[in-house]
Amino acid sequence: MSAALAVAWQRLLGAAWGGRGATLCRGLRTGPQRLQDLAEAAAAKEAENQSATDLSPLILQRNSMRWDGKIYEEIPIAHIKATYNNTHIQVVSFDNRPFARTSCGTEGFQNAKKGTAIAAQTAAMAAAAKARGKGVLHVRVMVKGLGPGRKAAIKGLTMGGLEVISITDNTPVPHNGCRPRKARRM
Amino acid sequence: MANHLRFLGRTVMVQNGNVEAAYSALNRILSHDGLVEVVRRRRYYEKPCRRRQRLAYEACRRVYNAEMGRKIGFLARGSRQDPWPGC
Repeated sequence: MSAALAVAWQRLLGAAWGGRGATLCRGLRTGPQRLQDLAEAAAAKEAENQSATDLSPLILQRNSMRWDGKIYEEIPIAHIKATYNNTHIQVVSFDNRPFARTSCGTEGFQNAKKGTAIAAQTAAMAAAAKARGKGVLHVRVMVKGLGPGRKAAIKGLTMGGLEVISITDNTPVPHNGCRPRKARRM
Repeated sequence: MANHLRFLGRTVMVQNGNVEAAYSALNRILSHDGLVEVVRRRRYYEKPCRRRQRLAYEACRRVYNAEMGRKIGFLARGSRQDPWPGC
């Protein structure tokens, strides 16, 4: 019953994220607190790998950590879409106001050179510079796709001066949705 | 993952500014959960006949590797008290 309430809370907050900010943030924390306990085992598997520093309380402590006085849910997000031929980077605030948008193509690379790690790194550095110009310091990264620019873009963001506080993988995995294109070299 | 909370699953927090370690931890988790090969496999369509062949091949491989591992573990056991038990 309470789990259903928590799910209802998430849907409400997913729909009404922008205008309500702080008040709903407080409500949001009670909902996902339960889910954080449940998902802690799944999402914090690195606790077993990093024996020196215990990471599983870090997920629970995340609600008490502050970056420049901001809570985790208010820090801007850097979306990185790493396709096989290109890499797009967009830095957005938590209520979807855009800060910076770059891609390998906007940095002057063309065709095959866009699908390289170096291009992704330069694009990320440019995006980081633009975001710094608008006053962004900390950023949480959401990566989508498996491409050559996946790791290089995160590195470029740190080299460009933004501080990455968390990395999320948002690669779309269909539960048998659309049929992909046919296999190559028939 | 669109219907779930966005920053709950598949998220790794960066400790002490060590982005490399966080990224490698994320990669390790994803590949251990089988997400990486699923994404790679879904890039192109896999026909049902190919899928059946692949599943059968993976099952056989799993059995073979398990048995071979057992055999090697049996043969490679050392520091036995009695090297000829039963004699």
